[in-house]
Amino acid sequence: MTSGYKRVSGDAVEYEVFARKSRVDALHLVGSVVAPDDDLAMAYARATYDEERWCEMAIVRKEHVIELWQPGEA
Amino acid sequence: MSLPDLVLSIADNKQMLGLRYAEWATRAPSLEADIAAAAMGLDDLGHSRVLYGCLEPLGADPRGPERESDAGSLRNLAYFDQPWSEWSQFVAANAILDTAFTVMIEACVGGSVEVLQHRLRKMLMEERYHFLHGRSWLRSGIDKEPLERAWREAIEFFGPPDGETETLRRDGKLSMGPAQQRTRLEEQLEARAPRVDIDWRAWDPIRRRTARGAIDEHTFGMLRGLEEKKYAPTAAKG
Repeated sequence: MTSGYKRVSGDAVEYEVFARKSRVDALHLVGSVVAPDDDLAMAYARATYDEERWCEMAIVRKEHVIELWQPGEA
Repeated sequence: MSLPDLVLSIADNKQMLGLRYAEWATRAPSLEADIAAAAMGLDDLGHSRVLYGCLEPLGADPRGPERESDAGSLRNLAYFDQPWSEWSQFVAANAILDTAFTVMIEACVGGSVEVLQHRLRKMLMEERYHFLHGRSWLRSGIDKEPLERAWREAIEFFGPPDGETETLRRDGKLSMGPAQQRTRLEEQLEARAPRVDIDWRAWDPIRRRTARGAIDEHTFGMLRGLEEKKYAPTAAKG
């Protein structure tokens, strides 16, 4: 996969999906979904990553993640 | 029409909705939508099992032997009689009919019957994601025909303004009657129902529909387990 790879096309937006199994765990990245809006992204995240009994799940637009550096840059 | 009759109607409709969703698990417009169709199908099939399980505690299970041989004895809306051929049909069912069933379940949870209050509450949490899915796809625009049909059948499902569903509300067994349910559905979808003229004299209070007909033979066979038997090794056929 090249660094310029994008799953999205048109109006679709890529969302990162975070979840944790218990309150003492930290939220961690479990995957991503592509959707045109937040509502559909929530529905897709829940449908796609519901195989575990998560106590919390959250999504964030990938474009809202502020990168400090990438692999190979540190 | 008693409360168990109503619960059986919700159960049969959820079962058929789940099956029709599942048929789109490899045909939806994107991989995410495929997965959502499969997940929502499983949810609704699970909900139907919970609803069937409420019939005995309610005191009178209305299921008779005719359900084994007569597809017309199942209480599903006409919308589920045939498999959907267009994605618009899926979206209209997801946004309007699935939400209409949720509104009826809200009315059960808000009513005075304990077994329904307790057992159906979790469904409302799961249905939130069905609603988000349906509403988002609905906003993207779909064909008018399935949309109007879904609205009509949702209103038929709620029942006539002064019928037995309204009596269940007056008795406290449901927290909402047909008029409140329709308003609730419109509020949820942020849309007014189209004008529909329903001949309530032709309405079947058991199946909660005016249209005649029943689910297709293939689907009924699958529900009865006949399709599985057809492909089973000879020794396993009974």
